Amino acid sequence: MAMIRRLIAGTKRAFGLHCPGRNLAVFPDDVFLVSYPKSGNTWARFLIANLLYPERHPDWGNIDRLIPGPEVMSKRDFARMPRPRFIRTHDAFDPRYKQVIYVVRDPRDVALSQYHHHRKLKLIEDNHPFESFLPRFLAGETNVHGSWKQNVASWLAARYGDPRFLLLRYEDMLVDTRSELASICSFLGVEATPERLSKVVEQSSPREMRKLEQVQADQCALTKDTRQDLPFVRTAKSGNWKSEMPDSSVVAIEAAWGPLMKWLGYELVSGDQAGPAESAFPVSAMDGLVR
Amino acid sequence: MIYGVKRVIKYVLGTDVAGRGLAVYSDDTFIVSYPRSGNTWTRFLVANLVYAGQPVTFANIERLIPDCEAQSNRYLKRVARPRIIKSHEYFDPRYKKAIYIVRDPRDVALSYYNFSRKYRQIEDSYPLERYIGDFVDGRLTSADWGTWGENVGTWVAARKGRPTFLLLRYEDLIADTQTELAKVARFFGVDASPGELRRAIENSSADHLRELEKKEGSEWITTKNKRPDIPFIGSAVAGKWKSVLPDAAVEEIESAWGNLMAQLGYELVTRKAESAETQLAATAVLGEQPE
Repeated sequence: MAMIRRLIAGTKRAFGLHCPGRNLAVFPDDVFLVSYPKSGNTWARFLIANLLYPERHPDWGNIDRLIPGPEVMSKRDFARMPRPRFIRTHDAFDPRYKQVIYVVRDPRDVALSQYHHHRKLKLIEDNHPFESFLPRFLAGETNVHGSWKQNVASWLAARYGDPRFLLLRYEDMLVDTRSELASICSFLGVEATPERLSKVVEQSSPREMRKLEQVQADQCALTKDTRQDLPFVRTAKSGNWKSEMPDSSVVAIEAAWGPLMKWLGYELVSGDQAGPAESAFPVSAMDGLVR
Repeated sequence: MIYGVKRVIKYVLGTDVAGRGLAVYSDDTFIVSYPRSGNTWTRFLVANLVYAGQPVTFANIERLIPDCEAQSNRYLKRVARPRIIKSHEYFDPRYKKAIYIVRDPRDVALSYYNFSRKYRQIEDSYPLERYIGDFVDGRLTSADWGTWGENVGTWVAARKGRPTFLLLRYEDLIADTQTELAKVARFFGVDASPGELRRAIENSSADHLRELEKKEGSEWITTKNKRPDIPFIGSAVAGKWKSVLPDAAVEEIESAWGNLMAQLGYELVTRKAESAETQLAATAVLGEQPE
């Protein structure tokens, strides 16, 4: 039986119909849009798609083709893409990804968003207590991309300061989408007028994305076969944790990842977590680490 | 279009090398390092400790602690669990439990140079200075494992401080093997007497491994069909770079990874580590409480 499954999978492979996943053949001019899950990846994807491919009218029906993910589209799809290719992933650091836009989000909001996403994916019941979701989230067991901290830290340690690495905060994107989009433009070497930027921001707004999701949820790998009573594009806000998250959970997240959160500018509310003695390790690992 | 017939057949038969595509089990323990950093030595130490009672040789090391970059998924599936697996991968969030061995990159570079000659990747006449440039810029044949800075930096940043992550320095292993091996024993939950530790150390000594290599080097998957005139087991000392490595090469390595080196306790000779301002970044990424 296993042999037959492998034969079928092998035939798919022969025609490049399998998802390449971690075996994606990378080109040096590929640009990767990377983030931990539920950190604004899809929003950034719509922004970039609307910026680069206005004539294709990006929506939930074609976003997987315009900016595909290696876990969703086939090897053949990737081979047929025009270059330079724009690819989205949630992968922790990969040295083959040379040009990277990395979106980071406050892990307190990420935890909540992922909790609701797991309800949508039918992985947990509606009455599943958040307090029992959180330890798994902290341990990095709620997905295959490591914990929030591991994912973020692996990228920062290897690439922070590299001119081919653009770090964006989801919260800054919310506050001033246009100016963050302008950073993306200059990173990609794309010229865009202020009017064009405004148009792209408008076309990629959560309102527009929601409107499209309502009629196209069955056309995108992200939303297909999930609960349709829960939207993929949820609140698109920052700071939900302040009202929705149990205090003990906030404390637990800050205790685990306080120093990195603080460095990213996420204010801690449960007292300054100095971290263990070993964190006083003398020198920066992140500056000038990579050429 | 047919993609790589040979690769597809290997995939169907399960004989393709596991590498990054290794099927990981949650009870696996990994011995990870950048190449030429003492991984083989550690592998023998661990094997002699954990599987005491049988002589560990190059003939059976692939069965005891297989190399996921040399063996197939099918082979690795047949290894008795819990498995101990050797790997050179950059940070992989799926590896739940890992020993990471780090070595002074100035010594790694020298050792790697000889290794590349042994593997016929470069000619004997290939200038060392040029090789150091390749090493620092990630142009080695094995670039898929990232650069030294990427490999070390991502593991240390993502996992340091966790009880399931043991960071060892090659230099400490050389200076006081018994103390370091005692840490390894505790990590594996092995109750080893000083006598048992000493025996494992003797059975893994550089001299002993050299003898084994002479006898079995032509059979071992790592050394088979490679140049027999250059040994795989190198000088097994720390600090060789001080007398052998040209100043310009030392400077090149230190300017690429100085901060990370200093943080790991490798003294810089051509520059100072960064000031307090950038230290915050290191603390943020490295200073993590166990999750």
